[in-house]
Amino acid sequence: MKDEKQQNPKGVSRRKFLIRGGLGTVGVLAIGTYIFRNNIRRELLGMVNTLELPYTDNTDKPMVWFEVTSDNNILLYSPKVEMGQGTFTGLAQMAADELSISMDQIQVVHAATSTGNLDSFATGGSTSVSSLWLPLRELAAMLRQMLLTEAASKMKLDSTQLSIADGVISGNGKSLTYAQTVEGVDTWEVPDKPILKSLKDYKYIGKPIARVDLKEKVFGDPIFGMDAQMPDMLYGAVVRPTKIGATFVSADTTAAETMPGVVKIISENDFVGVVARSMIEAENAKEAIEVTWKSPTEINTAAIVEMMTVGNGKSTVIQKNGTALEDEEGVSSMEFRSPIGAHAQIEPNGVVASVEQDSATIKISTQVIGLTRKEVAERLGFDEERVNVIPTYLGGGFGRRLHTPHAVQAAVMSKAVGKPVKYFFTRKEEFQHDMFRPPTHHVLKGKLNGDGLLEGLEHHFVSGDVANDSAVVPALLPPILGADIGAIRGGFIQYTKVPNYRSVYWHVDLPFATSWWRSLGLLANTFAIESFIDEMAIKAGKNAVDFRLQQIGDEAIGIRLKNVIKAAAQSANYTEKITNGRAMGLAASIDAGTPCAQVVEVSVVNNEIIVHKVTVALDPGLAVNPDQIKAQCEGCVIMGISAVLYEQMFVENGELTPTIYGPYQMALMKNAPKQIDVVLLQGKDTPGAVGEPPLGPIGAAIGNAVRRLTGNRITELPLKIPKIV
Amino acid sequence: MKFKTIYTLLAISAISFLFAINKMPNTIEYLALNDKETKLTESEKAFGKMMDVLTHQRCMNCHPNDDIPKQGDNRHPHYFGMARGTDDMGFEATNCNTCHQSKNNGYSGVPGAPHWSLAPASMGWEGLSRAEIAARLLDKSTNGDRSHEELVEHMTEDELVLWAWNPGVDADGKRRELPPVSEEDFKKAVEYWFENGAVIPAK
Amino acid sequence: MEISFIVNGTSKTVDLADENTPLLWVIRDILDLKGTKFGCGKAACGACTLHVDGEAVRSCSYAVKFAQGKKIATIEGLGNRDNPHPVQQAWVDEVVPQCGYCQPGFIMATAALLNKVPNPTDEDIDKNIINVCRCGTYYRMRKAIHKAAELQAATKMNTSEKV
Repeated sequence: MKDEKQQNPKGVSRRKFLIRGGLGTVGVLAIGTYIFRNNIRRELLGMVNTLELPYTDNTDKPMVWFEVTSDNNILLYSPKVEMGQGTFTGLAQMAADELSISMDQIQVVHAATSTGNLDSFATGGSTSVSSLWLPLRELAAMLRQMLLTEAASKMKLDSTQLSIADGVISGNGKSLTYAQTVEGVDTWEVPDKPILKSLKDYKYIGKPIARVDLKEKVFGDPIFGMDAQMPDMLYGAVVRPTKIGATFVSADTTAAETMPGVVKIISENDFVGVVARSMIEAENAKEAIEVTWKSPTEINTAAIVEMMTVGNGKSTVIQKNGTALEDEEGVSSMEFRSPIGAHAQIEPNGVVASVEQDSATIKISTQVIGLTRKEVAERLGFDEERVNVIPTYLGGGFGRRLHTPHAVQAAVMSKAVGKPVKYFFTRKEEFQHDMFRPPTHHVLKGKLNGDGLLEGLEHHFVSGDVANDSAVVPALLPPILGADIGAIRGGFIQYTKVPNYRSVYWHVDLPFATSWWRSLGLLANTFAIESFIDEMAIKAGKNAVDFRLQQIGDEAIGIRLKNVIKAAAQSANYTEKITNGRAMGLAASIDAGTPCAQVVEVSVVNNEIIVHKVTVALDPGLAVNPDQIKAQCEGCVIMGISAVLYEQMFVENGELTPTIYGPYQMALMKNAPKQIDVVLLQGKDTPGAVGEPPLGPIGAAIGNAVRRLTGNRITELPLKIPKIV
Repeated sequence: MKFKTIYTLLAISAISFLFAINKMPNTIEYLALNDKETKLTESEKAFGKMMDVLTHQRCMNCHPNDDIPKQGDNRHPHYFGMARGTDDMGFEATNCNTCHQSKNNGYSGVPGAPHWSLAPASMGWEGLSRAEIAARLLDKSTNGDRSHEELVEHMTEDELVLWAWNPGVDADGKRRELPPVSEEDFKKAVEYWFENGAVIPAK
Repeated sequence: MEISFIVNGTSKTVDLADENTPLLWVIRDILDLKGTKFGCGKAACGACTLHVDGEAVRSCSYAVKFAQGKKIATIEGLGNRDNPHPVQQAWVDEVVPQCGYCQPGFIMATAALLNKVPNPTDEDIDKNIINVCRCGTYYRMRKAIHKAAELQAATKMNTSEKV
């Protein structure tokens, strides 16, 4: 129960649970706040220890969580956005179970900032379901108890005589729906504390419930930011430089001003925009604007690679045990590299903004509702309360929508024309102005003892910014921690039985923006560490499974890690023999408290690596929705294959390239494994992180399989079989 | 006349030396014959101009020898695994016309012309020498059963062939490179070469 | 310039200054059918796939002038909640979507494939379904495509039995 304590040091108290009665014809029932007042330092320490982010709201004001509608359904206002990870479904299951309603009776919608229910951090870090596990169920249970008490009073019965099923409270031959119960009530009796049901009484939690957003997505409903509109809406476009680091000097807009459909050219200190009657007209006019940019010296990929070399920049020891390895005889050392990665989510960043006299409305795909509001309010000089940010479904998040400066630009353009303005990135702008996964370089060192086990193991790595300088993270965080909390994910040594180990992070500033890319440092760090571990196992003449199991510690997370390794190896019938031209590879990682192991089966045909089968063993703790956890595992495996086999951004003549799918090669249908088996373990009794941890092992697992098949150790992502000369 | 006979004999012997289809993609550089221009006959000059065009990427990208269309000035394989299919038009549901229409698209940069498709496999010229290409061009078994007159018509009037001089812009909005010979000069060269017996030069 | 065509069974006429406007924007912004998505504008991702006279077309690269007199089907016209197309039903059964943004394009491409190849092999799927999905739902999509082929065959059999 330690986990719950960390997430909820105080729990819900009556004092914080405020009620406001019926608004209009629809009964708005429960408005509550659920605030954690951890002192910041303890929260940070908790994050360092577990890398699990707690749920933290950011307002003292009451927030709408639930709304009972007149047709006896319940709306759940989610503080987390749905970007494909299935959060809405998990939250719906949790709320429906505690509210004693059916899945058909709950509808999850995004909370807008006007309703106040927003997370102070963001949607990210794979923690949406796990962080709301306790608070959401407690709030739902509280609402159920309040409805029961009220119904008992209306029916003049004792609440112990009543039972609830599918939102209907009945007993002694009488019954009231929730909707009937809330009618006309403006004073509610609030229970002292919520009484949660026991796990075995849950009908939906733990079951493979179909996604609640399934039909909207299959029938093409207009649910994304790209689909948002407002009355009288115009279309905007913003001129962007193609060169890295280019700054705006001046613009000649003469030609653009008279182009068809152009309403206004907007010249600000930091950008030039066009507003026109259609998107095509705005884009055409944008092309006609002659901008003078001031560009720094042009760089290229080679210069970036040289910068990103261990030993450059500032170092922080993030993990240390025993003594450091000296460069002595018997010490093996290998270097690994990963390239710049693009988010490449299919829905481009976009926004619709409407700015009036003293208020603004923003419809947007964002992972940072609060930050979007803050930045728009600051630019317009409005109080934050005057800016309502209405989040939409995200056409992919992956960390790309953790900063939304385009919301500010759209707001400025809307203010200038006095009408709503919709504006979104072209695909080229998406690729050139992405906030990339930073390139990395890793040096691994290890020394075997006489028993063929590691006596020392070290991971030295360099990365560009992930969390540092991010608008999402409180500015005080990096100085306290000393290292970039994003870049170091997956960078720790998990073989804690090794007597001497350390992990050292080096930070280098890059000339272009890098940031959060699903799983952050995990993808590259695990590729490097687990490739090296495999190489050491080969050197020691040991089986890759045994070599790992023997050196992982017996702390709780270590035991869980060993269990997923065993489960993956067993399910896949892991062998180091090559059969029918196929070899297996295994790797394992821990991310955000969730251990994951994968076994892949690959062959090499015409110098191309083909991944036939992937077995994933994951221990996400309590599985709220096993089917959606499997979907996340499958998705991570395929996105991981895409990243480790194909994807790579280059810098040529000071420009980031390529700028379109195809040249930016990604996994297609034909590259997805024909078989993905997922084994779920439950090593703790609360839900843990799911959306990112399965991205860890895939790179090393494939590399390890190729090593065993061909004898070649590939040390760079994307993995390419060396051409035979 | 004497010369013509000799050249024809040489051409026949060259054809007899043709070996199996060269599978080497993208690697052959075509050498211009300019340094010898003064010594060339008018027919040879016309042949040279015609071949300067046929071997240019605007033409050659759709005359592959490996069933994979090429793209761009660097002649890279078509992205996304697009290939010839059974009818030179791609696959059953996803084919050339899924993206390519009868005109260039200025917004997407996707090129287009009527009956956009690969040249038949028998006209897979990629990687062949000029003489080999010409031999295939003239051979009714590999040219779609075309007579010389029909070939001239095809090469000087077909909108897909003439697309080479109206190739539009690429995905980045940049104009595609034109063949090194103008449309007018190409047509004249084709007509002259065929009118003068379609003789394949020995070198 | 006036251009007339049929969209999901209904006649539409649009008046556009630029006859080369991509069909995608006419469908989305003038006819307000938002199911057809913008992903890249370069015919590279397939998010904008719809049907023109039954053939899969990437509408971001299709000038609206070419649609004159033709029949266009979008995801909204393929099927609905009460009467889903077999491909949509299979997508629901297999719980395919994650973020969902690319899915209409894939569903339209798959529906076109099943028109041409009623019972596609894995190889047929690999060649014809070349849209891009970032969430990595390909694994479930492949299952759903095979399922859709079965559903479609069953539907046809039922229909012919009734006749």
